Amino acid sequence: MDWQALALSVKLSSVTLLFLLPIGILLGRWLAYRQFWGKSLLQTLLALPLVLPPTVLGYYLLVAFSPNQGLGLWLVNTFGTTLIFNFQGLVLASIIFNLPFAIHPMQRAFAAIPREIREAAACCGMRPSLVLWKIELPLAWPGIVSAMVICFAHTLGEFGIVLMVGGNIPAETQTIAIAIYDRVQSFDDHAAAVMSFSLLLFSMLTISFTYWLSARSERTHD
Amino acid sequence: MTDSAIQITLQQASPIPLSVQLECKSGELLALVGPSGSGKTTVLRAIAGLYQAQNAQIICQGEVWQNSMQNIFLAPHQRHVGLVFQHYALFPHMTVLENIQQAITHLPKQQRQTQALELLKKVHLEGLEQRYPKNLSGGQQQRVAVARALARQPKVLLLDEPFSAVDQVTRRKLYRELLVLRESLSMPMILVTHDLDESNLLADHIALLHKGEILQTGSPDFVAAHPKSATIARLMDQQNLFTAQVIAHDQATQKTYLRWRGTLIEATYQAQFAINERVCWMIQSENILLHRRGRPSNGNKENPLQGQITEYMESSGLAHLRVQVDKQLDTTISINVPLHVAKRNALGLHEEIGLSLLSEGIHLMPYQALRSES
Amino acid sequence: MKLSLLKNRLALSYLLLILFTPILSAAEIPVIAAASNIKFALEDIATAFHQETGKSLRISYSSSGNITRQIQQGGPFELFLSANAQYVEQLHQQHKTLDQDKVFALGRLALLSPINSKVILDEQLTGLKQALQAGKLQRIAIANPKHAPFGIAAREVLQKQQLWDTILPHLILGENAAQATQFASSGAAQVGLVSYSLALAPALKNRVRYLLIPSSLHQPLQQTAVLLNNAGDTAKLFFHYLQQEKARGILSRHGYTLP
Repeated sequence: MDWQALALSVKLSSVTLLFLLPIGILLGRWLAYRQFWGKSLLQTLLALPLVLPPTVLGYYLLVAFSPNQGLGLWLVNTFGTTLIFNFQGLVLASIIFNLPFAIHPMQRAFAAIPREIREAAACCGMRPSLVLWKIELPLAWPGIVSAMVICFAHTLGEFGIVLMVGGNIPAETQTIAIAIYDRVQSFDDHAAAVMSFSLLLFSMLTISFTYWLSARSERTHD
Repeated sequence: MTDSAIQITLQQASPIPLSVQLECKSGELLALVGPSGSGKTTVLRAIAGLYQAQNAQIICQGEVWQNSMQNIFLAPHQRHVGLVFQHYALFPHMTVLENIQQAITHLPKQQRQTQALELLKKVHLEGLEQRYPKNLSGGQQQRVAVARALARQPKVLLLDEPFSAVDQVTRRKLYRELLVLRESLSMPMILVTHDLDESNLLADHIALLHKGEILQTGSPDFVAAHPKSATIARLMDQQNLFTAQVIAHDQATQKTYLRWRGTLIEATYQAQFAINERVCWMIQSENILLHRRGRPSNGNKENPLQGQITEYMESSGLAHLRVQVDKQLDTTISINVPLHVAKRNALGLHEEIGLSLLSEGIHLMPYQALRSES
Repeated sequence: MKLSLLKNRLALSYLLLILFTPILSAAEIPVIAAASNIKFALEDIATAFHQETGKSLRISYSSSGNITRQIQQGGPFELFLSANAQYVEQLHQQHKTLDQDKVFALGRLALLSPINSKVILDEQLTGLKQALQAGKLQRIAIANPKHAPFGIAAREVLQKQQLWDTILPHLILGENAAQATQFASSGAAQVGLVSYSLALAPALKNRVRYLLIPSSLHQPLQQTAVLLNNAGDTAKLFFHYLQQEKARGILSRHGYTLP
């Protein structure tokens, strides 16, 4: 069991979630409530990662952040760092790749809140931020939790992009999925089997827990 | 205009046409009446700030809530409105008590609970504090919605067809409660409804809305008896609506004479209509006398008509009759009489009876083509 | 009430997590990149290096061509151990390298098949030809010649024995030398033409049969090490360590010829 790789994977999933939670809530909410010119184009773009092969995204990330030109060069000159071959790069790739998995369930959850309820909250004297905190978030919570579960599991298993933009660097970009691949290539079937099974168990536990959580909150919030 | 607690002016051509000028005094209930799609709910939402009309001015108890010319627009949470939604819009994840407490923003935490409990008592819902909205009946939910609206200590109370979602028995109970509650309220109240009986019962004044335009305002009785046009008469559900021609005015006797279907009709003096001008006229059921069988009286002499009963229906202690007075042209007059009167006169289908139209009940309006007349 | 308390606690921990994430960044141990054929030899050398100097390294394995591309795109490697000299030459021309490179070993090829396979392994590859004609050979694994030097060498050998065209439809390509070996050792391919060093791997003992291919059949597989522009002291130390007695001994044991 490569504990380092497992810890890295969990860290990657967690950090991705930290970013996707506010992004998903804000974007999901915006798309649920507003009509605007260009909305369908935006929704198409946001849904792209669903059908895009991970290698395509990986390719574009490599091109965009290659430190020899353009954005990548600017990043190196300004911050002294790149966004490929390191953990930050994986986080960025992960956020992009999980956008539809975060936004769609959250958008549905917010859209399911009857407009009248938000209006009633405003008429109670709640300013918009309070309406979000006290009314919308509690009612949308099951959808938000589902979105987070899916994103966590999805990131945990992400392989193609990590391989392309990661560089297979231990403790930096060698996630557990990569580590399993690595062990197979090292003829270490035992380690590969142990890690795969552990990952399977871990995924099942995570998903069961969060489904339980969302079912519980659905019962209260009916 | 100046002693009104709330004054509303809305003008816009699109996307929803509006031409509204309203006012309401403290303690008074104004009903916005009209068919579906007339814009009543839009007007209410504009008052609450949930809809921003293009050219508008809304002033409530001295506060300017909206003034398009000065670019002032207060958001709903900045106005002190109490709005009771048609489907109540209670927060499903909060108890009844918590729902009400959300609107009590002006008190510290400890006192909020006490205040909320008092409001619950006011709407006769003691004991239900910890229930969730899904476990309440329609009538109970409505009361919570009212309590929550009042908890805001609103400067105006707005009700959007709040009785439409409950059964009739519950509705009657809620009417009574609202009337009692009114006594203790000192703010203007605006009720949106399409139910004329409801507005007759609850409102001090009504404003009749049709395609976004206020056609007439006044007390319910007055608008019903003196509609400004045949359209308004229709909207007020007047059954007896006909056309006629003005023959003469007699200022001395205070009478105006009309020719209707070849018959001469006497109405009260309404000289604003010219001789030979075509007009519409209407008469309410309470201004039609039934000739009692076998006991003629002087009252029979005013605009007497003979006819045959073509429809006869009994309901809630009344007999609803349609009397055909013109065999060739199928003109019928509607009249409602108490059931005991109908029984005493042995009224029923195909019976021949006599009617008298009281001249003070004949109200003239400008001419417009009526669909019911051939 | 309880739910709002939980929410507040969550919000607080969330905030703390965001604040402290930068602190949880990865260890600052230098990273080097190596062609995957050298995996087992390099692990042993790195262990010996650590025992003698106390310093650690992180190693990223892939095909030489892939690593070259990554270095061109700014990969954080300080030392590159390539399976041939050509990729290093490419990097020299692109000014990615610090210094002169050093050929520290010569790689060898081996024919490999699962232990209970009946295919005859011989230097002229006649056993292969026979099995092909008899229809007993469906798949043969080599590393991808597009970016793995051991694949290029394998192709050379097959071409020399006039087998390339016949074998082409049966070829499966490993992404790097290690994957090709894994295909052959697991039986996914009946035979593999792979790195000798990997065939010797302890993990494969008693699972595979193999035969060393004469080096005259292919261009030398010059295992070339070169320091890259951002090389630090540890990397430089290791670069020299590779050329010394202990490391050479380990390389020899793992089937490499020493220059």
